[in-house]
Formats: sequence, C-alpha cells, structure tokens
Amino acid sequence: MQISIGKGLLLGGALLGVAVAAASCENKAEQKSVQAPSGALGASASIKALMEARGLTEADVEGALKTYVPGGKSDEYMIFASGGHSGQILVIGVPSMRLLKVIGVFSPEPWQGYGYGGESDKVLAAGNQGNHKLSWADVHHPNLSETKGDYDGQFVFVNDKANGRVAVVDLTDFMTKQIVPNPLVGSDHGGAFVDPNTEYVIETSQYPAPLGREYVPISEYKEKYRGVAMFWKFDRQKGRINVEQSFAVELPPYTQDLADAGKLVSEGWAFINSFNTEMATGGTLEGKPAIESGASKNDMDYLHIINWKKAEQLVKDGKATTVKGMKLLPLKVAGEEGVLTLVGEPKSPHGCDVTPDGTGIVVGGKLDTHGTVYEFSKIKALIEQKKFEGKDTYGVPILAFKEAIRGQVEIGLGPLHTVFDDKGFAYTSVFIESVVAKWSVKDMKVVEKLPVHYNIGHIMAAEGDTVSPDGKYVVAMNKMSMDRFSKVGPLYPQNFQLVDTSGDQMRILVDSPIGIGEPHYSQMIKSDKLKPISAYKAGENPYTGQVDPNAVPNEKAAKITRNGTTVDVWMTAIRSHFVPDQIEVNEGDTVNLHITSLESAEDQVHGFALNMYNVNLSLEPGKHENVTFKADMPGVFPFYCTEFCSALHLEMAGYFLVKPK
Amino acid sequence: MTAAAETKDLKPRDDGHRHLEVLKPAPSKRKTAARWSVILLSLAAIGLQVAAFFQSWWWIKLYAPQYPKGLKIVISLTGVSGDAREVDILNHYIGMASLTKAATLERQWAAYGVGLLAVLVVALMLLAGRKLGRLLAMAGFAFPAAFIADSFYWMYRFGHNLNPEAPIHLPPFTPQLFGNGKIGQFMTFASPSTGFWMAVAAFALLAVAAIVRARVCASCAKAGDCGAVCKDAFVGPKAGLAT
Repeated sequence: MQISIGKGLLLGGALLGVAVAAASCENKAEQKSVQAPSGALGASASIKALMEARGLTEADVEGALKTYVPGGKSDEYMIFASGGHSGQILVIGVPSMRLLKVIGVFSPEPWQGYGYGGESDKVLAAGNQGNHKLSWADVHHPNLSETKGDYDGQFVFVNDKANGRVAVVDLTDFMTKQIVPNPLVGSDHGGAFVDPNTEYVIETSQYPAPLGREYVPISEYKEKYRGVAMFWKFDRQKGRINVEQSFAVELPPYTQDLADAGKLVSEGWAFINSFNTEMATGGTLEGKPAIESGASKNDMDYLHIINWKKAEQLVKDGKATTVKGMKLLPLKVAGEEGVLTLVGEPKSPHGCDVTPDGTGIVVGGKLDTHGTVYEFSKIKALIEQKKFEGKDTYGVPILAFKEAIRGQVEIGLGPLHTVFDDKGFAYTSVFIESVVAKWSVKDMKVVEKLPVHYNIGHIMAAEGDTVSPDGKYVVAMNKMSMDRFSKVGPLYPQNFQLVDTSGDQMRILVDSPIGIGEPHYSQMIKSDKLKPISAYKAGENPYTGQVDPNAVPNEKAAKITRNGTTVDVWMTAIRSHFVPDQIEVNEGDTVNLHITSLESAEDQVHGFALNMYNVNLSLEPGKHENVTFKADMPGVFPFYCTEFCSALHLEMAGYFLVKPK
Repeated sequence: MTAAAETKDLKPRDDGHRHLEVLKPAPSKRKTAARWSVILLSLAAIGLQVAAFFQSWWWIKLYAPQYPKGLKIVISLTGVSGDAREVDILNHYIGMASLTKAATLERQWAAYGVGLLAVLVVALMLLAGRKLGRLLAMAGFAFPAAFIADSFYWMYRFGHNLNPEAPIHLPPFTPQLFGNGKIGQFMTFASPSTGFWMAVAAFALLAVAAIVRARVCASCAKAGDCGAVCKDAFVGPKAGLAT
C-alpha cells in the first residue's frame, strides 16, 4: 500500500464509507451501528496498519468488506455449481463464496452415506445401464426448478455428460432422489434445462451415435448415427421424472451442444446449438483430419429450433416410435411437421441463452468474435410462413440466417455463454480473451470488458437465466487459475471469481479456488427461496417421503429375528448408543439392517459404519435406513457412530459377529 | 377466611350499616342479584378451570452453549411437550428417568379431577349450608396448590432416584421449579404459565363468590342453624326470601 501517513485519515474515512456502503443493503438499524464508530480513529488506523502489513490495496479491502459474512449471518444467495468429474453438486454461499455443502449426485459420497449400503444405493444403481458400475460423472449444467420462469427453490436437476444421465436433487433435504439414464445416447451436453414451469427437464445429446448404443460401423455415420433432444417429464408432486411420459426428438448427427428453453413469448420452444454439421468422424491414424479440423470447415453450423409443444402433441397422437422403451419422434416426422427447424449460426458456436424477456436467443462462437442474437418473432414468422432457405440432407427445413437474426454484437475472441442482469445488460464469457464482456442488449454494443483469471468457461449471474434477473453479481467460472492460489501440484484448482455488477463498473470481489473436478455451469438463487428441513419425520425413508414400513419407533421395538438364513435387525440410534449393540449371525446369512435415528433435534446426526463390509450410513434426525448384505466374512466386526454426536460418541459402538461355517 | 370474618362482622350491624342499607330497600331483589353473581362467578371459575386444562401450566427453559435457542419443556396437566424429548435424551446421561414417566397417574386423572371440581363447585354453590359454603374458595385453591406440590414431589423424586448405571454420576438434587437454576452446563429458568395463572384466576373468582355467598347467608333468617345443606337461601322454594 503506497499511501503516505498524511492520507491515513482520508483512507480511514474511505474505508468506513465502504463499510457503510456494504451495510446499506442491511436494515436501517444496522446501518446506524456501522456509522456509529465514525469518530473512532483507532479503527481506521488499525485497518491501515493491517493493509500495510498484509500488502492489501483499497480494492482488496473493499472486496473483503463486500464479501465478508460474519458467523451467525447467512449468505444472501446460494450457488448450485457443477462439481465436474466429482459427480457432485457444490453449494456455495454468495457473497462469502464459502462452500456450504457437497451433494453426492452421480458418485458415492461417504459423508451423506450416499452409496454405501443404504437406500441411496438404489438411486445410484438406477443410473447404471451397461456392464459397469458407474462411480463418476462429468457433471455439467445444474438447473433449478422454475415456476412461471422464476426459480422456486424446490429442485435442482443436473446432467452427466460422460454417461448421458440426468439427476433430480430435492432441495428439502439436499439429497439426490433419482438418476435416469438416457437409453438412447451415451453422452449428453445440453442439459439439464427446464421449461418455465418445469414440465420437462431437457437433455440433448452431444456425440452422435446409433440410438440405443447398437454397433454400426462408423462408415455409416450419416445414415445411422443420430442425436436426440430428450424431454424428461417431471412430476413435481412426486418430485421424480416420469420416464413413461417422457419422449425424445430424433436429431441429425450434428454434434448438438448447449440448449435453453424458451420463456414468455417463446415458451413451448427449445433451442440447441450444434457444431460439426460437416459430420466429420476423424480417423487420425489413417491420416484423415482430426474431428477438430474436419468439424471446422464450414463457416456456418446450425441452431436447432424445436417446437416441443408440437412434439408433445405428435407423441400423444401416436406419431412416435419406441426405441429401447423410449418414445422417439422420428427425424423425418420432426422435419415435416415443423417440430424441428434449423438456422445457420457462425462457426463453432457455443452457448445458447434466451434473453429474460424470451424474445432473443444469444449464441456465441468459439472461433468467432461475434455474439449472434436471433429474434424469436422472426423465427416464428418464417416457420409459420414456411419461408425456408432450403433443407438439409435429412429434409429438415433451414431458415435464412440474415432473416432470423436481430443482429450481431462484436464481443471479442471466443464468446461463449451469456447471462443477464436487471438493467438490460448481458454478460458474455469470452474464453480466448479471458474477459467478461458487458454489453447492452438494446444497443447491441459492448460497454465494458473485465479481465478474469483465466480462460473463463461458463458465466453465471444472480437468477440470471430467469424472467427476472437480480443483477448484483456475476460469477466467472475460470478453467485456469495459474498464479492465483497456493500451489497444489500440477492439477490446479479452478477459479470462481465473484464479480460485483451493481455499480457502473464491474469489479472482481474475490477469487475462490474449486479443488474438486472441473465445474461447468452453476446457478445462483436468493437464499430465502429455499426452505430446507432440519430433520426428517420420525422413521422417514428419504427416498419414499413416507415412514418406512421397517421403521423402529422406539428402543422397545428394537429386535433381531431369524428366518432361515435371513437375519433381520431392527435397530435404533440415539445419543449415545445403538439398540441392539450386539448382533451375531452365521457365515453366509443374509443380513437386513433396519436402522432408525430416534433423534429429532436440529443438527444431532449419527452415523453407522460397519467395519470391512463397506457400510457407512448417515442418520440424520428421524431418518430410517435399510441395508442388505451377505455376511460372507466370518469374524468380529465392530460398528460405530461416525459423527461426533456427543461427549460419549466414541462409546456409541457395538459388535457384529459372524460365526464361521 | 375473609368471607367468614365479614359474615361475622355483618351480624351486629343489622340496622343502619352500609351493608344493610344496600340490602334493605329491596331485600329480595338485592339478594337475587347477589345469588346470581355467585352462580355466574362460580360458572366462570369452572369455565376458566376447564379452559386451563388445555393450556400449559409450567415451563422450564434450559440454556447451554450448543443450544443457542435454548430448550423449553412445557408442562400441562396431561403431559410434557416442547423439547421434552431432547431433554430426556440429555437426562439419560445422568440417569434421570424420562419425563414421560413422571406423574403418569395424575395425568390420567387430571380430566376427572377437573370434572370433579366442577361438580363440587356447583354443589357447594347451590346446596351447601353456611359453614360448608365457605369451602367454595378452597375448591379453587386445591388445583393450583396440588399442582405445585405434585410437581415439586416429582422433581424431587426424579432428582433423587438417578440410575446408578448412568454414564455421569451426579449427587441427588431437585431441579428448580421457580426462577434460575443450574444443572451441568445448563442454566435453567422455570416459571408458571397460562394454565396455572388461569387456575389462579379461577380461584380468585371462587373466593369472591364465597364472600358474596357468605353475605347472602349472613342475612338469612336461618343463618345460625342452617346445617350442612341449605334449603332456603339458594335453591329452596323460598330462595332469597328467608330474611
């Protein structure tokens, strides 16, 4: 800090000004208490000393004051971020950027007892289709459930690009309740996006392949390889995707990329960008160009426009075929009936984001400098008038690019994703240039660029993809962190940078290392929209929402019964003991453990870990868990509570004895 | 009993005194009004007592570092609620029995107790002679007094019958029923609540009823020798006329 002593007073005043500004969003009473010590020179002097000692600039201090959330106070917003390869969702508070929770989704998560012997095993198992137990995912795009185009705080959906799956997380207990694997394709990307009332969770494929994963030689790529747009029907009452009522629309073998659902005027429509309309398949060993070259030959690729309301009707009318048990609207029907229409988009597009008013669709370009804004009313009129420029090889009508757009914004090198604020500005992540570009949607002009660190991928704004964005914050999700953090070996953390967009100029408030997987998209919701529970109903099975038929209501009901070679144990957990705490079975017995937490108080959690049998459960207050396993190892196996529940936590233990044959 | 004292006072003042001035100009009317007020006060007291049955009578709050919001045990005539379950879990560490095991008989009979009280009040109010009628006030006193005595008994019994097998050994103690106390890391604060105060109010109404009734009796012609059951002053065919 290069500031002379004489300026100390001024600086102190400035800092207090910042403090007051930071508090101005709080209530008036608190504002007074912040203003109160304005005469205290001691505070400003000590802050100045601190700044000098730690080498902080005024901007650093402002960032610190704007993001600091003292203990006992809650963050105003919450981020639901992709956990990348971890297969998880990260819950992060804003503005503090502190990690609040890791939700196990596609991969086992021991702390929540997710995938370690209990009921959650069924959720994970439902996500397996092939011969291998999948224990990871490439988590891409979390999407919060919406009502009338606004986040309602009830559910979050997310897709696994690597294995083509979609998961449902219930935000009453922040637990994953369902994983549905896509029976048609092996990888997805455009998902999991919802329509404004969460009727459908939309998942679109990425790498084209024969639908149903059948073997077809790659020479028949154009004929037999396909993409799909999945419309997973969401049953809000049950909190689950209804697979029987879901359907797919068959797409040409272009590599479909990102997708977004229309809103307000464009409700009932979905938009997907694509690349590799050249249909390059590589063949590098034989000297053919790699997909990266082959897919970049044409100057234009295709934005896919889907009228899903019409598709839904056609499926109802029986126009769909069934592939692998999934209703599929054939490409031919989709093209002929106006369900699928294409329009050109500049080379290697990325990002596909509908404006808050639903009138425009913004598409970036990895190898372009423009952001293209399509005008929905023009698209709709052209389709209605059947004014097509031509048709592709599959008979899908194509609109003329020039007639379908509102215009193009000169953004910079490699614009990707776009989010919006409440003042008519759009914020686009610009990958190659490593900046956030702020531009006026009305004037189609960039007003400011903010360098970020480094290689920004996704970008996200506070409720920024709803019909009413909040403004205030943007988060730049950077792929590289280089020199931003302490070194932790060659695999560097990603960097989430919180950007203050409330003023005329964007300011980076804080860098947050993400040391888990490579996160993609995230969404930010006002915290007070979430209404999580603090305990389950007594004996509730979180996966049925009902009191489990095997729930143990009290310690008197605890018992062990044997029926042939099946042993059922009805067990209770309460501070600081299990009933029963001695279980003896014979080698080869099938053991069913039914464990109920008799706790009801907030934050009183027990665990149940069984030595060597890979069983680890989390028993939140009231929760019931069922575990079934074969006692195939004779010996003595202690079990114990894995949460430090009480002073006598270590004593909360018991023995599982398996008598040899 | 104040009612009795005033009754005695009234007798010699038969002429010229304030009380008789009130009664004399239209003795039957005044007496009718007084009789009605006794009936209404008694019925109101019964109503309050019945309503109190459904309210909480006592609460105990416990504070400890890990319970920033505190724990609250709510005691009513039929059971304990609030955070009683959590307190039970904590109490098991010192070997104290579950609060659900306290005063089980009393809880079962509380409703009948309220019914009995109502019958008793009606009987005393309408049928009792002069001396027995004074018990009207006592009827209202019985419930809150018995509640406190019984609660104290159970607190004492619980604190002095700790399970010796419990993980933590404490010397016998009696949890505080009023005001501040301390058990382990917990600060406790106990106080009567709505139901108890309603019962006290019922007692106050019955006390007033007893005083008014005593005055009516005092001015009765048979005041000296009406016996256990009154045949005239309140319900007899000549009710209110036996001056």
